[in-house]
Amino acid sequence: MKLHAVEVLERERFGDHTLLRYRWTGSPPEPGQFMMVRTADSLQALDPFLSRPFFAHDYDDEVVSLLFEIRSRGTALLSEEDTNLFVSEPLGRGYTLINGGPVALVGGGVWVSPLKLLAKHLVRSGIAHDVYLEIPSTAPEAYAAWISENYPDAILVRTDAAPGAPQAVLDSIGNLSRYASLYASGPVPMLNAVKRLSEGTVPAQLALRERMACADGSCYGCAVPLWRDGARAYARACVDGPIFPAEVLAW
Amino acid sequence: MVTGRALSAREDTGVDLTVELCGIPLATPLIPAAGTLSKEALGEVKGVYGTMLPKTVTPRSRAGNPPPRIAEVSSGMVNSIGLQNPGLDRFLKDLDDYDVGLPLFVSVAADTVGEFAAMCERIAGEERVSAVELNLSCPNVKHGGLQFCAGPGTVREVVAACRGALSEKPLFVKLTNEGVVSNAMAAEAAGADAVTVINTIPALVVDSRERKVFLRGGLSGPAIKPVALRVVYEVSRAVEVPVIGVGGVTSGADVVEFMLAGAAAVQVGAGSFVREPREMLEEFAAYLRQNGLRARDLNGALTEL
Repeated sequence: MKLHAVEVLERERFGDHTLLRYRWTGSPPEPGQFMMVRTADSLQALDPFLSRPFFAHDYDDEVVSLLFEIRSRGTALLSEEDTNLFVSEPLGRGYTLINGGPVALVGGGVWVSPLKLLAKHLVRSGIAHDVYLEIPSTAPEAYAAWISENYPDAILVRTDAAPGAPQAVLDSIGNLSRYASLYASGPVPMLNAVKRLSEGTVPAQLALRERMACADGSCYGCAVPLWRDGARAYARACVDGPIFPAEVLAW
Repeated sequence: MVTGRALSAREDTGVDLTVELCGIPLATPLIPAAGTLSKEALGEVKGVYGTMLPKTVTPRSRAGNPPPRIAEVSSGMVNSIGLQNPGLDRFLKDLDDYDVGLPLFVSVAADTVGEFAAMCERIAGEERVSAVELNLSCPNVKHGGLQFCAGPGTVREVVAACRGALSEKPLFVKLTNEGVVSNAMAAEAAGADAVTVINTIPALVVDSRERKVFLRGGLSGPAIKPVALRVVYEVSRAVEVPVIGVGGVTSGADVVEFMLAGAAAVQVGAGSFVREPREMLEEFAAYLRQNGLRARDLNGALTEL
C-alpha cells in the first residue's frame, strides 16, 4: 500500500475524540470513501503493524479532515501532537448521490463522520436533505457540544439507551416514505434498523466499518455478508464498499 | 517469460536482480505470497515481482469464514480467511486477469489427496501456468481434519500424487514451521521441485473483556521473521531443492537476510499491506550495488558462527 507523508494542520481533541486535518493535494475524497492512516513512527517500527481506516469526514480547499474515537494504542498515537502522518489515497466506493427528492442522513456516535462531506455534496447537487444524529447518553459532553456546533441544522436525538440502540433516532424521523433515499452511518444495530425499516419503502445506503489489513482487496479480511445471485457470499468492505445498498446485506 | 518491463527494472537499478527458480528465470527474487495480492492491486506492483502468484484456489468455490477474519497483534496480524475463492473452473476462466507479463505460479489446496491430484492434472495442461505451489496448511478431511503438513507421511502422500499428476511442471510445497525439516525432506523425496517456508504460524487471539476466543488463525508479519529465517536456514541445509523464503519480510534488508539464510527467492505477504514492495526492491538493489553483488550471489552465502 502506497502511503504519502502529509502535513498535519490541526489536531482538535474533544472528549475521547480527535479531529485531525491535513493538507492533501491528491485526488479529492468522495463522500463515504476512506483513507488508511498511520504515524511515521509506526511506519518505521511497524508497530502497531496495520494502518487504520478512517472515513473522510470533510474536504475543503486541499484540506482533508478525519474524525475518530481514541480506542486503543493505534488511535492514541495518531492523536499525539507533533506526530508525522502517512495516509493513502482515498479508497473504496462511496455513497451514490440519487437526485429524486429530499433525502435523510442518519448517523450515530463517531460514525457520523462521513455524513459531513456527504451533506456538502448534497448541497452542491441541490438535493434537499435532513440530518438526524443520535447522541448516546454515554457520549462525553465535549463531543456532544462539538456535534451540535458542527451539524447546526441536524436534528439531535439524545438517548438514554445503550450506544447504538436504534429506535430513538429512527422514531424521530417518522414516516420514511417522504424521503427519496436514506444515507446511514452508525453503529451496527442502527444500520440494521435502518435496513429493516427501509426495506420496501425507500432505498438506503449504509456505511460499514470493518477491520482492514491491506485495504486494496488482496487479503479478504474485511468480509461483509451479502446476497449475490440468490446465495450468501462475502464481499470486501475495502473495494466493494465501504458503502453498501441496504438490500444486498445478508444480516 | 521475462518481459521488457521487468528487464527495465534491472536497468533502472543498475544491478542484476535476476534469479532462477527450477529453470524459470525471474526478473527479481520477489514473489507475492499467496493471498496477499489481488487482481484489484496488480497495477501497483509491475516491475517489482519476478512472478505472479494469486490467492490459493480450491476445487470448488469457498465462501470463506464469517468475520472477524483478522486481528492485529504485536508486530503482526492473525488471519483466518478460510480460503475464500471462486473455485478452479472460474479461476482458470479468468486466468488472463493475472497476466502481467510475468511467469504465473498457482497456489492450490483441497480436502483430500485425490482432489489435490485432480487439480494438478487440470493445471498440468495449462500453458499459462509456470509452476504449482501446494498449500498444505489446510485440513485433510479424510484424516480427521489434521493439516496435510502435520507430518511427513501425509506430506509424502499428497506430494507424490501431485507430482504424478502435474507431469513436467515445477511443483512447490508450502509448509508451516512445525516439523518442517522432516516435512521438507519428505516433500523432496516425493518429487517436490522446491519448498516454500513458512506458512503462517497457528495462533490464537483472546478477548479478555468478553472472555472468549476472538480469532483462531495464522500469525504473519514481522513477529514471525526470526522463526521463518531459522526454518529457511535449517531446511536449505537439509534438502537439495531450492527454498523459497517467506515470513515477515518488510524491507530490502529482510530479503537479503532470507537469501543469505538459504532462500533462492523470497515471498512478500503481510509486509506489502504496510509498505510498498517497490521500496523493498529498491532497498534490496541498493544493498547489491553497495556490495558489488548480484541477487543470485546471496543464496546461502552465509558465514557460520
